[in-house]
Amino acid sequence: MSLLAQQEAFLAAILDDEAPLPPGWGKRHQLGMQVYRGNYRSAQMDALADTYTRTAAYVGADAFRQASINHAIARPPSHWTIDAAGEGFAQTCAQLFGGNPEAEELAWLEWVMLELGSAPDCTPLSPEEFAATSAGFGDAEWMGLRLTFQPRAVARIVAHDLTALWQAGGEAAAHRFEGPQGCIAWREGERPTFKLVSAGAAEVFNAMALGAAYADAITILAGDAPSPEAIQQAATAAGAMLGDWLSEGLITALGA
Amino acid sequence: MIWFVSPRCVAVLTGLSPDGSERLQIFFKGPRWEVVCNLPSRGREKQGMFETEPMQNDPSSIAPFDGFGLGLRRTHMDDFLAPFVNGSAPVPVDFVEVISENYMVEGGRQLRLLEEVRARHPVILHGVSMSVGSAGGLDADHLARLKALADRIEPLWVSDHLCWTRTSAHNSHDLLPLPLTRDALDVVCANVDHAQETLGRAMLIENPSSYLTFPEDEMSEWEFLSEMARRTGCYLLLDVNNIYVSSQNHGFATADYLAGLPLDRVRQIHLAGHDPATPERPVIIDTHDRAVADPVWAFFAQAMAAIEQPVAVMIERDANIPPLSELLAELDQARAYSSAPVAA
Repeated sequence: MSLLAQQEAFLAAILDDEAPLPPGWGKRHQLGMQVYRGNYRSAQMDALADTYTRTAAYVGADAFRQASINHAIARPPSHWTIDAAGEGFAQTCAQLFGGNPEAEELAWLEWVMLELGSAPDCTPLSPEEFAATSAGFGDAEWMGLRLTFQPRAVARIVAHDLTALWQAGGEAAAHRFEGPQGCIAWREGERPTFKLVSAGAAEVFNAMALGAAYADAITILAGDAPSPEAIQQAATAAGAMLGDWLSEGLITALGA
Repeated sequence: MIWFVSPRCVAVLTGLSPDGSERLQIFFKGPRWEVVCNLPSRGREKQGMFETEPMQNDPSSIAPFDGFGLGLRRTHMDDFLAPFVNGSAPVPVDFVEVISENYMVEGGRQLRLLEEVRARHPVILHGVSMSVGSAGGLDADHLARLKALADRIEPLWVSDHLCWTRTSAHNSHDLLPLPLTRDALDVVCANVDHAQETLGRAMLIENPSSYLTFPEDEMSEWEFLSEMARRTGCYLLLDVNNIYVSSQNHGFATADYLAGLPLDRVRQIHLAGHDPATPERPVIIDTHDRAVADPVWAFFAQAMAAIEQPVAVMIERDANIPPLSELLAELDQARAYSSAPVAA
């Protein structure tokens, strides 16, 4: 058997207790394999527990352990860093805790906060720099304005009060909002942070992160078949968002 | 295969002969690189005549480093950074070792803190995921990130383990055992060569602890390590706890292991605790979660007596991490054992 084939068989035996051991292996080998199987499982469990402390507190130890086992089986790690073992755990939670969608939202937030912690360092565009650059903008420049956000800043729609859940370390009842809200996560200097925003703000952020222009942002906020008043309100709201993003250091450059 | 004998001399193993057999070419750098002689490959045994004293800036050599250090864990980061914040005395260690993969990131606080520690202490980058035993070769992304980190931190050296961790499909995140065969040795040497050439520096490779051996083994672990060091020019990180653990699990003598190694290639020693065997689990496990055991201290003293050049000695603790003061006290024990007389 080639070394390559041998290693594939060995790892298959670690991943699956039922996988056959190589011919000729006796009790001594089985004892050794038990140690490697145990190491593999504990590394997975420990990595998930480190990343998802709040989710674990929220769903409880037994449920979290079962979710971790399911995740490790469904998504055996392939990346060189064990931190990546937690990727996709929010989806695992969505499948397991369908009746508690807040668990998926909390796991998503813990993952993006971890990712932000090691995101590339960047220098935000200051409000003063933006003011100087945009001082001569005409309507065309404003409508065509595109923004570059800091790396790994992300937004999504949520249904629960993640701020309260986060601050309570997951040990609180989840408050469900009456309608959809948004959540934006980014890094303030070196510190990952997030805030709840309107669903529209999250939608606009994602659109502009993908290259939409300022005019598109206003269109999104104005809704379908908008009145002149709605367009004016949308423009005002878009301006407020732009101001928030600048003051929070989310924008690193103008233009895609 | 390339040996950097010195910055002005390189030996290259090539297939030049009409019959296709390997030959060794020696290049010297004058106004340009020139081939000064060709030898049959068996002439490698004579390469010692070209060896020179390790030179500064020679990427193929690692000068001995004399000192005692700790594995730097996040729990103790504030202790190490306190001198920058409040002017307190630096932590009394000669170097720190960090897990490379924890810092092979694009940015953020941890990376900056490591740079601050580096401003005060020499740093060793110790990896757990290079997988030099993988038959499928090295992970290009891992290697590129490790090189970027090494270029940024300028470590004393870069190390990893004699093991494999992954296939092309999955990663175990454990240090898995290799069959000690000539085929596996060829794989390891090719991967270590690749890593050293990419990193632009020689590496240290650590002996692992293991919980099983393979029926097809053709040599001992110390023979495997010796041949790997000879063929690749890498250096050795001797984990005396791992040797003890494996000796108990596989029934060999630690003294034989020590006697079989090219000890002049050792640049670092690891000390750590292990979980003893029990009637229910007759396997000793390398756990790094407790103090160094007495038999390991005794073996450490033997190793220190046998190694002639200075080495960097450190204690690894990865679980149940105690206050820093406790680890520093254990490091004092290492200092004491390193100079203790050893019974013949």
